[in-house]
Amino acid sequence: MASLIPCPHCGIRPKEEFSIRGDASLVRPDPESSDETWNDYVHIRANPRGRYREHWQHVAGCRRWLVVERDTFTHEVFSVSDGAVRPWETSR
Amino acid sequence: MVHQYADRHTLEGLVPADVSAGADHLAVAARQAIVVVLAAPGQEAAVAHLLASDEDLSARFSAPGEWLVISGLQTPELLHQALAALLGDMAHCIDQSHGRVLLRLTGLNARAILAKGAGLDLHPSAFSVGQSANVLCGHISVNLARVGDDAFEIVVMRSFADTLLHDLRDMGRAFDLTTAFLA
Ligand SMILES: [Zn+2]
Repeated sequence: MASLIPCPHCGIRPKEEFSIRGDASLVRPDPESSDETWNDYVHIRANPRGRYREHWQHVAGCRRWLVVERDTFTHEVFSVSDGAVRPWETSR
Repeated sequence: MVHQYADRHTLEGLVPADVSAGADHLAVAARQAIVVVLAAPGQEAAVAHLLASDEDLSARFSAPGEWLVISGLQTPELLHQALAALLGDMAHCIDQSHGRVLLRLTGLNARAILAKGAGLDLHPSAFSVGQSANVLCGHISVNLARVGDDAFEIVVMRSFADTLLHDLRDMGRAFDLTTAFLA
């Protein structure tokens, strides 16, 4: 587990200050989508070994939702950005 | 049954009033004026500028567009009125004077004491005088500000003050940390 997270608002902090929500790359399906699609969106998660993008909340600091891009194998943190700023969405 | 809703400090009875301060000292403010200011969307920079322009106000950063504004001179009511007049509809101001407790830690070992519980780089090059941030101290989230080279102020939610005081005394025991209400 990556142990130091550079919060864009608060600086470098230990992971204990954060809580993790999970996969940040999911896109909410259309309301009319099939039950199968909704089931996948709500319940089914990949558990990748390697680069992963997750929602983390800095609960003990600025309380902002952040997007942490990290490697689940090497623990390297590649980027941390505020959840309101979503640079990866434009490049998707 | 008659209830008495007297104004009572949450640390009353836990902190002596008449202990003389040692080399490293934790002072508990007996009264304080603290207002949370939350900038309206798009007004963050303008609000920050106005808060910085008033010398009586000490704005402690807690999140983007959000500050704890502290005044050592004004009463809670007057501070709230002054901020409402200063910021108008650019921000929401909520009086938290009775919801928080203000502690001031001073002494040459203040940094070493805090470093036992807070995962924040306290070196002056990383956390200089005037800087502030929300940080975990032990397992309690507090707002920490550096108010001098060897002086820090901690703002904690009232209901956590008792436990935080206990933790800080443990952290300061090796340095004979003293504790008293601020005269
Ligand atoms: Zn943060």
